[in-house]
Amino acid sequence: MLDPMRDGKAALQALIERGLAESVTVGDVAQLTGGASSATYRVEIEDGSGPRLLIFQRTAGDMNDSAPRSVQADVQARAGALGVPVARVIAKTLPSDDLGDGVVTELVEGEGLAPRWLRGEGYTAARAALTGQCAEALARLHSAPVSHWADLPLKGGSGAELLADMFGWYRRLGVDVPAFDLAFAWLKPRMPQTPASCLVHGDFRSGNILVGPEGLTAVLDWELTHLSVPAEDLAWLCVQAWRFGQWQLPVGGFGTRAALLEAYGGGVTAGELHIWEVYGNLKWGMSCLQLADDHVSGRVPSVERAAIGRRVSEVAADLTYLLTFGEL
Amino acid sequence: MSHPSAIQLIEAVQIFLKEAEAELDGRLGFHARVAGNALAIVARELAQQPDAAEAAALAPLGGASALCEALRAGQLSPDDPAVLGPVRAAVLARLAVDNPRYATFARLRDRG
Repeated sequence: MLDPMRDGKAALQALIERGLAESVTVGDVAQLTGGASSATYRVEIEDGSGPRLLIFQRTAGDMNDSAPRSVQADVQARAGALGVPVARVIAKTLPSDDLGDGVVTELVEGEGLAPRWLRGEGYTAARAALTGQCAEALARLHSAPVSHWADLPLKGGSGAELLADMFGWYRRLGVDVPAFDLAFAWLKPRMPQTPASCLVHGDFRSGNILVGPEGLTAVLDWELTHLSVPAEDLAWLCVQAWRFGQWQLPVGGFGTRAALLEAYGGGVTAGELHIWEVYGNLKWGMSCLQLADDHVSGRVPSVERAAIGRRVSEVAADLTYLLTFGEL
Repeated sequence: MSHPSAIQLIEAVQIFLKEAEAELDGRLGFHARVAGNALAIVARELAQQPDAAEAAALAPLGGASALCEALRAGQLSPDDPAVLGPVRAAVLARLAVDNPRYATFARLRDRG
């Protein structure tokens, strides 16, 4: 696989030319985030109208259950057509590009680091508008029936099936975390049996959205998209881990549940949201366990993954609080 | 006292990591900070012995493994205060080591 900052620059240029259907010159390519398996690059290009910036994201040798980038890109483009604010997709890699599984998109202005826009003085208006904007974006995404996505290879299922999959994942890791078993046991009779009714983003939260002075500018990171029910996305946004210390505001550290449900426009009850919130916190806990296992098993030795393993205690406390007091 | 204790060795490495973090950018700088946090957990673990505290809290339910097995088999209810209470105590003992500044720590500890 070629390196887009070095020997892969010409391939990246050809990819962008294919997407834009015009000749461009690729200038500076800088890696913004990521490591060995997945990375994001900022790409400077010069086309007929002058210099501008694009984003190239790619995955190599995948080992999680993410959708392939090409599927993510299709979902992202269709979400845009439904009225969800997203970065426009310019090009998808082909195996012959030798650039990994990747996609080029436009660069959207906005702050991605949640602590900045959750606390920054320049974002007061953004924070006030954000609950409504997030609810509206999700309502638009969820408005399309499952048949709208039927041609894409997407995972998913009923709430009960998703829980059963997650329990299988937990058991394969072979650990005993009492608070996790409490949550699995609590969820088992409560998760809905009804089949998936829509596509969910799957990772819609503070940290995966871009925020400008007026609020939401783009919804990022579509790799966990799957078929489910609306409450899963709404509840995931309320998981404690993305409140970044602003725990009194359960919706991403910036809003209230009542405002979220009202702005969403009905169809999801507070009780349903609560069940999926327990599920969401447990799912984040499972990710922490998995990252720890990557290190402990020797598969991906990493100080970061080892340290995230100790965040399991945070989720155990959140789950215990949720089950003891009914709301977090 | 020329023989540094384990805690003193940890503190020395923490000082070094702070110096290194100031010289490092991006990923390496971030990892230096993560490493410093990991050492702070080790220091608290040496002082607090959370394994023993967790075992003591869960002893009435037969320990962590037996409790998990009983919940999986449906022999214990996740709504039962006799289950939730000991789990709460065990969870607090671990979180006191892993991240006592986490907001839910004080909330879970102090709520009646």
